[in-house]
Amino acid sequence: MPMIMTDKKRLGIYIHIPFCLSKCAYCDFNSGPAPDGACITRYVNALIAHMERYRVGAKLYEPNTVFIGGGTPTSIPIAELTRLVKAVKHNFRLTRNAEFSIEANPATVEYDGLVKLKRLGVNRISFGLQSAHDNELEALGRMHTRKDFARSFKMARDAGFDNINVDLMFGIPHQTMESLLHTLRYVGRLGPEHISLYDLKIEPGTKFYQNYDEIKHLLPDEDLDADMYLQAVEYLKEMGYYQYEISNFARPGRMCMHNLKYWNCEEYLGFGVSAHSYFNGNRFAFTPDREKYCRAIEVPGSPIRLTVENEAVEERERLGEYIMLRLRLTEGLDTSEFIRRFGASFDALYGDKLTRFLKGGYMTYQNGRYALTPQGMFISNYILSEILEFEDFGKYMFGN
Amino acid sequence: MPQTEKQKHIRNFSIIAHIDHGKSTLADRILEFSNTVAKRDMEEQLLDDMDLEKERGITIKARAVRIDYTAPDGEVYALNMIDTPGHVDFNYEVSRSLNACEGALLVVDATQGIEAQTLANAYLAVDAGLEIVPVVNKIDLPSADVPRVQQEIEDVIGIPAEGCPAVSAKTGVNIESVMEAIIRDVPAPEGDENAPLRCLIFDSVYNSYLGVVVYIRVMEGTLKAGDRIKLMHTGAEFDTVEVGTMEPFGLHSTGILSAGEVGYFTASIKNVSDTRVGDTVTAAEMPAAEPLPGFKKVQSMVYAGIYPADGARYNETKDALEKLQLNDAAFSFEPETSIALGFGFRCGFLGLLHMEIIEERLEREFNLDLITTAPSVIYEITKKNGEVIYIDNPTNYPAPDEIDVAAEPIVAASVITPTEYVGGIMDLCQDRRGTFLDMKYIDTERVELHYKLPLNEIIYDFFDALKSRSRGYASLDYEFEGYVPSELVKLDFLLNGEMVDALTFIVHQEKAYGRARKIAEKLKDNIPRQLFEVPIQAAIGSKIIARETVKALRKDVLAKCYGGDITRKKKLLEKQKEGKKKMRQLGSVQVSPEAFMAVLKLDDDN
Repeated sequence: MPMIMTDKKRLGIYIHIPFCLSKCAYCDFNSGPAPDGACITRYVNALIAHMERYRVGAKLYEPNTVFIGGGTPTSIPIAELTRLVKAVKHNFRLTRNAEFSIEANPATVEYDGLVKLKRLGVNRISFGLQSAHDNELEALGRMHTRKDFARSFKMARDAGFDNINVDLMFGIPHQTMESLLHTLRYVGRLGPEHISLYDLKIEPGTKFYQNYDEIKHLLPDEDLDADMYLQAVEYLKEMGYYQYEISNFARPGRMCMHNLKYWNCEEYLGFGVSAHSYFNGNRFAFTPDREKYCRAIEVPGSPIRLTVENEAVEERERLGEYIMLRLRLTEGLDTSEFIRRFGASFDALYGDKLTRFLKGGYMTYQNGRYALTPQGMFISNYILSEILEFEDFGKYMFGN
Repeated sequence: MPQTEKQKHIRNFSIIAHIDHGKSTLADRILEFSNTVAKRDMEEQLLDDMDLEKERGITIKARAVRIDYTAPDGEVYALNMIDTPGHVDFNYEVSRSLNACEGALLVVDATQGIEAQTLANAYLAVDAGLEIVPVVNKIDLPSADVPRVQQEIEDVIGIPAEGCPAVSAKTGVNIESVMEAIIRDVPAPEGDENAPLRCLIFDSVYNSYLGVVVYIRVMEGTLKAGDRIKLMHTGAEFDTVEVGTMEPFGLHSTGILSAGEVGYFTASIKNVSDTRVGDTVTAAEMPAAEPLPGFKKVQSMVYAGIYPADGARYNETKDALEKLQLNDAAFSFEPETSIALGFGFRCGFLGLLHMEIIEERLEREFNLDLITTAPSVIYEITKKNGEVIYIDNPTNYPAPDEIDVAAEPIVAASVITPTEYVGGIMDLCQDRRGTFLDMKYIDTERVELHYKLPLNEIIYDFFDALKSRSRGYASLDYEFEGYVPSELVKLDFLLNGEMVDALTFIVHQEKAYGRARKIAEKLKDNIPRQLFEVPIQAAIGSKIIARETVKALRKDVLAKCYGGDITRKKKLLEKQKEGKKKMRQLGSVQVSPEAFMAVLKLDDDN
């Protein structure tokens, strides 16, 4: 069988754009409206300069996924965006079929811009729709309507994007089972290749968190929320979207290769504020402060600390991560692969603790693979915190 | 017996006041005025030396201090100021402290007037034959009404108060008038220095160098260092090591104390329970014929289980309890085991405040996390076979068919309240199964209510209910009266069909249904969802009287991707695991200590 042999390692590239048109009520990502155009240019310059620093080392790698996320990457001028895309290609030698994704919000894209991005090699676009109901969108603090989305989606198709994701949410204010299924039906009919369906989690620092008392009566309760999830999993399957991760569904062969790197414990390199990396056995993250980030890059030898988290992942911790991440996937954890990686038996280490989850219908065991069922996935924190040992968390251990 | 010159220059007095009426502040001013403590050296409220006391503004243990005071006429007096606890739990200790004195300053807040505890302690002082010196405090406040409060003192306690010292302990105004009143109105002590020795123990404190330091008032005879002494009630004998007086900054060994004096002795005593408050110290060689009257062995009225939240800290908890007991003869404990909570201790307290103080000291001074079960009183059960048993742990309550008569402790309670809240308070007492005795008007605005109340109703959040119904103005005092037969039932709680012993209550039949429903609801709100549905049942015997369900866990997930931030996910899971480590396994159900405490925390609807 002919195979292209390469001794270069695969890599994922993540680029964070911390700008958007306005902050959504549920969003706790590092993002917000840009004060002015100069500040965007400066940030893009910093990103490009930052990538250049890796240029030499990057020659050992052949990145096969790129993901520009945010914020809303398409909220910055198209000229800045194309400059950035070009720089990625200039500094990294991407594989020929590399997946190159960009996040976009409806009503922040224009046909011409999309065509430019497509021509430069961006081949996957991820739209944040969240809901097909304008009242729900308004409650989330979204700037767009369903119609805006429909227009943007068609534009992307017309521009030649044949790999599109749509982000949706459930457990949001005003939502009912009916309205959720309606949203799913609407999106299913448009036929994107990929759907992400996230459960709303109210995080500290968000508007929802501050106004929790005002919105809590609008939110589905825990049981309805769980029912929504389970029904959505079924309904999406009927429409040809197969669940492959807790929150991710795809047409066959259209899984997001970049996100899979996270769950497969593969290497990725992040650029920009708050960007996380897993590289050379280390997990690290850059400062969330945009000013500091830019200055640290602009001034060679600057005393400003660019890296705010940095830890070498030890053997036992890698094992813990592997379990935690693999069990997010419907494919689950392959016990023989586990032995290959860690020289230890998953059954011998954790088998006893799994019995009650297998019996309770939260987990399956087939052909040497343990996998969570949708019921199990929706309580995966509970299950993981039961089965993992403190050593599996490495140096974060509270006892230290 | 004529007084000696020395006795003529001694004044022994206590200060009686309601919480917050300024007792400690007045004590500070008296110390300061006597130049005993230079102002700059004085910490606020010197007499209360425990942090806890400072925070709560109450005096937990009686303390005494000797002050040398030079009167305007040049005479030098030794003033022994004996501080007393101001709370209903410590009535007996108060009465012993009062017996060591000839007079008492009755401090009344010029804005508030007399409160229930003030009145109760003032009566104790009158009963002990003390000369009462009224002092109206807080005259610096705009709402002070000195003539009204003076009139109230005359009407209610029946002692003249017109022209009594009116002061501001806070600003120091008129403190000299208090000093004059002490010298003029408090009688000098009497007692034959050559009679057989009789000293009253009014407190004792454990000191790791000296052993127990015993605080005494010499009533008759003379005590010298090296004397062999006998404690008349316990019968124990010791050789005294040090004899002396309590100075503001510590003990001062004088080697001798004679009739009329207040001081301390040490005798290498290991345990405060050997030196009971109220016992009489006499000479072993030539003992007195009779002990001083009024000794009582203090008895715990309220019991609760105390468990370390982390079972591995059992031994630490035991050490801490032992250390506290060294200084607190009124506190008792013994090991007990609960199926739900593991190994712990059944502890006896004088009352609820005493219990709270012990809990707080364990948590604060010994850094322990504790689970405390709901407090219980002692029930007196006469079994069908004639045997009488006392139950301090509801779990040990006998089966109904073994019981002939069940009796519960009843107290005589007095509530003083502004008239506008009388209705609400009467409703409360009624609801708490109280029997109304009478109501007296203190003046046109305030009344004193007398009720008989079951003690187990008082420990069920009565104080808070009283405060909330009177906007904080009502005050309560009570005294144990005796046991009265009652319709009691044992209320059990079952989680997933398994009984949780630590949740068992003894409750009056009429209250059982309401209490059962409320606790079942609280359990439902506080037990985290488990993998399976958990039925909660409240039962009397085999009869289920309330029921709730904790639904099965359905959602506990981190759905988002967070741009490859794996660390965040790990931290979250690890924290969750840490929380699980603390969980208590109640049968097949996991409950956090916090949830358990929330359920056990007694509170009322209002």
